[in-house]
Amino acid sequence: MEWAELIGRVAAHGDRHAFKLLFEHFAPRVKGFLVKTGMNADAAEEIAQNTLLTVWRKAAQFDPGTAGAAAWIFTIARNLRIDSARAAARQARALDKEAASAEPDETPDVADSPETMMVRRDDVSRVSSALLQLSDEQSTVIRLSFIEEQPHGEIAERLGIPLGTVKSRIRLAMARLKDLLDD
Amino acid sequence: MTINHHPPEDLLADFAAARLDEADRLVIGVHAAQCSRCQRFIAAIEQLAGAALEQAAPIAMAEDAFATIMAAIDEPETASTPAPTSSQAVPLLDDDLPEILLRCRFGKSRRVAPGVKMQPIILPGADTSRAFLLWSAPGTRMLEHSHTGTELTLVLKGSFSHQGGDYRPGDFDFGDGEVDHQPIVGGDMPCLCLVAMSGDLQMHGWLGRLISPFVRL
Repeated sequence: MEWAELIGRVAAHGDRHAFKLLFEHFAPRVKGFLVKTGMNADAAEEIAQNTLLTVWRKAAQFDPGTAGAAAWIFTIARNLRIDSARAAARQARALDKEAASAEPDETPDVADSPETMMVRRDDVSRVSSALLQLSDEQSTVIRLSFIEEQPHGEIAERLGIPLGTVKSRIRLAMARLKDLLDD
Repeated sequence: MTINHHPPEDLLADFAAARLDEADRLVIGVHAAQCSRCQRFIAAIEQLAGAALEQAAPIAMAEDAFATIMAAIDEPETASTPAPTSSQAVPLLDDDLPEILLRCRFGKSRRVAPGVKMQPIILPGADTSRAFLLWSAPGTRMLEHSHTGTELTLVLKGSFSHQGGDYRPGDFDFGDGEVDHQPIVGGDMPCLCLVAMSGDLQMHGWLGRLISPFVRL
């Protein structure tokens, strides 16, 4: 069963069985991913729960033509992480000033705004074909550095290359991805 | 609109992975909203992130996690109040702004130097950088400066130019400690930019050093 199809069933008729399958697969992975990128387990648990809750609520907005299910769920978890960091910053500031936040902040984050995140449908195939043309080594180095936020020392060890080479590998991989996506 | 100057790729990747300070994220986001090239790059990073999520070692959820979510689903959703658009508490330097900016809260605008005004954007989560609108009269010659931190600039209206080329609406300019530049605003119309800045400006030249204490951005 495709994940995208399950999301479609949640959207179409609130299919709880389909949702349970999505929960069982993605919730522990979201949690694992967040912990791997430095979040403590309790905070990661909360964001993973909210991510799946959002999957339920926004299932109708998922467009299998523009993103894979996993990428879509990643962006939900990412935006919730941004929201929680903002809430924490606001709280710290309120404590600072003893001015308990009288006015709730309603400024939406730019990452949440539909106009930023909507990739045009005809761009989608270009993105996927560019990713297919990237070598395994290049996508790995981008993933480790920008997504999993591993220090360069760790990346050098994982890939078995000298530390001094890591930076240039990352730069080359990014330049290649850019060229593949360019007009 | 032809966009000739884009953010460096690592900033786009950091945007996609939510590793940017809020002010920087705002400027990159407003640029990306207008730029399909950068949208594609961000989407590519998000796809790679989705693959990384698929491969992440799972960590077991709390035992009652599923029940908690199902209980929340059965609760009626708290109606989210629609974000106010353009009903700003303070007058804007320019109210013909991209939609995302109209939903932000602004502080009072003020004069920075002759022919230069700024208006801060209030961002609750901003940590080390701050965002503001920068309005400059036609033909304004900015003082030669560099930065202790970084400066992300997006042209909204008008134009400016410096050693790096000409910058028109949609164009993005990145400055850091290594860049020493002296922008000149185009002569036809005022230039409106969205700027995210960390650290301070450093003015150069005898005039710059003389007035530097008075130029606060």
